[in-house]
Amino acid sequence: MEKRTMVSLIVIGVIAVTVMIVGCIEDETTEMTTINIGYQPSTHQIAAMLASEKGWWEEDLAKFGIEKVVMKEFPSGPPEMHAMLAGDLDVAYVGTAPPIAAMYEGLDAKIVAGAQTQGSALVISPELADEYESVGVQSLKGKKIATFPPGSIQHTVLSKWLLDNGIDPETDVDIKAMGPSDAATAIGAKTVDAVFLPSPTPTIIEEEGNGVIVAWSGSISPNHACCCVVASGTMMQEHPDIVKQIIKTHIRATEYEIAHPEEAAEIYAKWLDADVSTIKQSINVTDMHWIHDPSIEVESGLEYAKVIYELNRERYEEKGIEVLEEEDIFDTSFYDEVMEER
Amino acid sequence: MNHKLKLHSVTKAFQSEEGGIKALEDINLEVKPNEFLCIIGPSGCGKTTLLRMIAGLDYPSSGEIILDGDRVSGPSPDRGMVFQEFSLFPWRTVLKNIEFGLQIRGMEDKERREIAKRYLEFVGLQDFGNSYPYELSGGMKQRVAIARALATEPSVLLMDEPFGSVDAQTRNVLQEELLEIWKRTKKTILFVTHSVDEAVYLADRVVVMSARPGRIIACMDIGIPRPRKRTSVEANAIREQLLMLLGSKRQE
Amino acid sequence: MRRPTKEEGLWLVPLIIVILLWEIIAGYVIKDALILPRFSAVIFSIYMLRELLILDILVSILHFGIGMTLAFSVALPLAIAMGWFRNVFRAVDPIIEIVRPIPPLAWIPLAIVWIGLNHYAAGFIIFIGAFFPILINSYTGFRDVPRVLVETGNVLGCIGNIKLIRYVALPYALPSIATGTRVGMGVGWMCVVAAEMFGVGNSGLGYRLFQKFYFLHQMDYVVAYMLILGVLALCLDRLFRHLVEDKLFRWKKGIVK
Repeated sequence: MEKRTMVSLIVIGVIAVTVMIVGCIEDETTEMTTINIGYQPSTHQIAAMLASEKGWWEEDLAKFGIEKVVMKEFPSGPPEMHAMLAGDLDVAYVGTAPPIAAMYEGLDAKIVAGAQTQGSALVISPELADEYESVGVQSLKGKKIATFPPGSIQHTVLSKWLLDNGIDPETDVDIKAMGPSDAATAIGAKTVDAVFLPSPTPTIIEEEGNGVIVAWSGSISPNHACCCVVASGTMMQEHPDIVKQIIKTHIRATEYEIAHPEEAAEIYAKWLDADVSTIKQSINVTDMHWIHDPSIEVESGLEYAKVIYELNRERYEEKGIEVLEEEDIFDTSFYDEVMEER
Repeated sequence: MNHKLKLHSVTKAFQSEEGGIKALEDINLEVKPNEFLCIIGPSGCGKTTLLRMIAGLDYPSSGEIILDGDRVSGPSPDRGMVFQEFSLFPWRTVLKNIEFGLQIRGMEDKERREIAKRYLEFVGLQDFGNSYPYELSGGMKQRVAIARALATEPSVLLMDEPFGSVDAQTRNVLQEELLEIWKRTKKTILFVTHSVDEAVYLADRVVVMSARPGRIIACMDIGIPRPRKRTSVEANAIREQLLMLLGSKRQE
Repeated sequence: MRRPTKEEGLWLVPLIIVILLWEIIAGYVIKDALILPRFSAVIFSIYMLRELLILDILVSILHFGIGMTLAFSVALPLAIAMGWFRNVFRAVDPIIEIVRPIPPLAWIPLAIVWIGLNHYAAGFIIFIGAFFPILINSYTGFRDVPRVLVETGNVLGCIGNIKLIRYVALPYALPSIATGTRVGMGVGWMCVVAAEMFGVGNSGLGYRLFQKFYFLHQMDYVVAYMLILGVLALCLDRLFRHLVEDKLFRWKKGIVK
C-alpha cells in the first residue's frame, strides 16, 4: 500500500475513533422520567421491595415527573456500587461498606438514610459445627469460608473479627467471594466449610440441613451498621426534592415492615420465589433491626472506612487518598429535614 | 525354466452402483527372472490394478499370483513398488527415506545408513542425502523412490508409470539410468506405462492389454539388442505393430 | 534488498499510535480513571503490583499447564483412533459435535460441584477449552494421510495399524497436531481467566482481576492485569511456535511454497 494512502487511512481512523468516544461521553441533562433503584435479595432490604410491591415508589414520585421506577437486583454490594459508579443507579439499598469502598475510588454519592443493622450469620457445615462449639473462632483456621466480595459489610466484619482474634484473613483462612445463592449451593455441595451471609440465606441453609448457624454478626460486632440508602451525587444536586421524597417513602416502608413482619416476609417470599415459612422463621431468629436514621450508622461507617483504608493502604497512600471522614460519607441533611417536617 | 512370477487365470471384479464391473478377465502371464517386462494398454484397462495385485495391495477375485513358488497375499518388501509421484515421506530426509524399509525390518542405525548411502550413489544423488523431498526436482524424487525400493533387495521391482510426471528430457535420462540399474542389479522388473515409445525402448517383452474388461491381447518380444536407438527402423516397426494392436482393439 | 528491513519494524507503528491515542483520550477527553485509566497509570500499576503479579502469573500458568496437559493426553489418543479408524469416527463424532459447542464457561458450575473450588477445577475448564481444537485438528491430520504414503509404507514392510500409525500417520499428522495445540492454547488461556474468576483458587490473574480489583473498583489495576494477560498469551504462543512449529514445519513449508 502506498505510504500516502496508509497515512490518510490512519488519520481518518484516529479522527473517527475520537469522535465516537467524545460523542459517547456527551452529558445530557434532560428532565428525569425514570429512576433506577438498586437492591439485594436480602431480608435486610424488604423496605425497598415492600414500597415497590405496594406501588408507593410510583405514587410518591409521580408528582416529580417520574414515570417509571426500575428496581434492579444485585447479588451483593460491590457489583451494585460498580453499577452506580457507571451511572446506572440513582438510589441504592446497600450495605454501608460497599459505597465507602467505592467512594475511595471516586464514587460521587452519600449515605442519606439507614436501613438496618446486624443481621448476618456465620453458618458452619454440620460436621464441623461441634469443632466450632468447642474451639470457637480458632476452628476457622484453614477452612474455606464463602462470603460477599471484598468491600462488602460481610467481608469487612468477618475480616475484622478474624484479625481481632489473631487470624490472618489472607493466609490463615480461604475466603471465597460469591453471591448468596452460589454460597448456599457451595455449602450444600461441601465445596466450602462455612458461609457468612446476611439473612435470610443462613436460615434457608439451616432449613435445608446444609449448615448450622453458630454466630450472629450482632454478637461479633454489636450494633454494627449493615444496610443503608445511598443517593448519587447527581440526584442530590439536581433533584434534592426527589431525594427527600425517597427518604419519606423509605421511612413509611420501614415503619410498615416493623409493624407487619409477617406481611413483609410474604412480600419477600413472593419477590424472590422463596418458601414463606422459611422466610418467616428467618425474620424470627435473625438479630437484625430495621431502622431509618442514618446517624445510627455513622460510628460503624467510620470504622469501616478505616478498615477498608487499612486493607488498601499502599494503593491509597500512593494516590494521596486519605481516610474518609463523616462529611465524605454521610449526608444527613435530607433526613433531618424530613424528620423536622413530621 | 523356473519362472519368477506366474499369474494363473487372474480375474478382478468390483461392485459398484451400476452393478458388477469386471476390471480384469482371465489374465495368464509368466515372467522370467531378470526379465524387463512392460505392460501397456488404454486408460482403464486395469494394468495398474494388475500391478497392485502383484504388489499385494489388492487381491484377485479368482485366480492365483505366484512369486518364487509362493502365493502372493498381502504387501511385502520382497515386491518393491515405485509409484508415479508423491510417494516420498516428506518429513524424512532423502537418506532416511531410503532407510525406511530397513528400519522397519529392524536393522541397526549404522548398517542401514551404509546401505542407504550405497543406493543413493547408485542413483547418482550422493550430495543430497540430507536434503528434504521438497528441495528436489521431480526427476530426483523418482530416483530416490527407486533407490528406496531397491534398498530392501526385493525379488521383483514393480513400477507404475514412474516417469509419467516428469518432463520428456528428464524422462529419457531416467530411462537410461533405470536400464543401468537393471543391468547392475539384475532385478526382474514389471513396468506399467502409457507410452508405447517407453515400452519399446526399455522392455525385453511387452504385454498389450485390451480396454475394460482387461485381457491380454498380445505378448511381443522386442528382440532389439541394447543399447537401443529410439528412432531405429526396427524400433519404429515394432511401435507401429503395437499401436495397431492398441488401436484395433479399441474399435471393437 | 530494501523490502525486508522496512517490514521488520512495521508492527511498532500501529502499536505506538494506539498507545498514544489511549493516553490522550483517557487523560484529556474522558478524564475519568474509572471509565478508562490512562496508559501511564496502568504501567505504573504494573510496577506497584509487581510482587503480587509474579505469584498470580505463576498460579495462572499452573492452571494453564494442568489443563493443557490433560487436554493433550486425552485428545491425542482419541484423535488417532478417530482419524485412523473410520468406525470409531462414526461412532464417536456425534457425541463430540454435541458437546463441542457448549462454551467452557458453562461447565464452571459442574466443575465446582464435581471437583471443588481448587486448582484442578480451574484446570478442568481450561481442559474443556483446549480439548476440542486439539482433537479436531489432530484427527483431521490422521484422516488426511495420503493413500500413496500408506501404500508405500506397506510395500516397504510397514504393515499393520500400529506400525503404520507410528511410522507414517503420526509423522504426517504432526503439523496438524501442532496447529491444534496452538489453537487449543489460545482458547485455553482465555479460559484461565474465566475459571479463576469464579474463585477456584486464591490467586491467579483472573482471580485477582475479578475477585479483588473489580469488586473494589480499582480499574487501573483491572486494566493492568488485562494487559498482562494479553502479553502472556502472546509470549506463550510465540514460544510454542519457536520451539515446536519452526522445527516441525520445515518440511511442510516446502509443500506450501
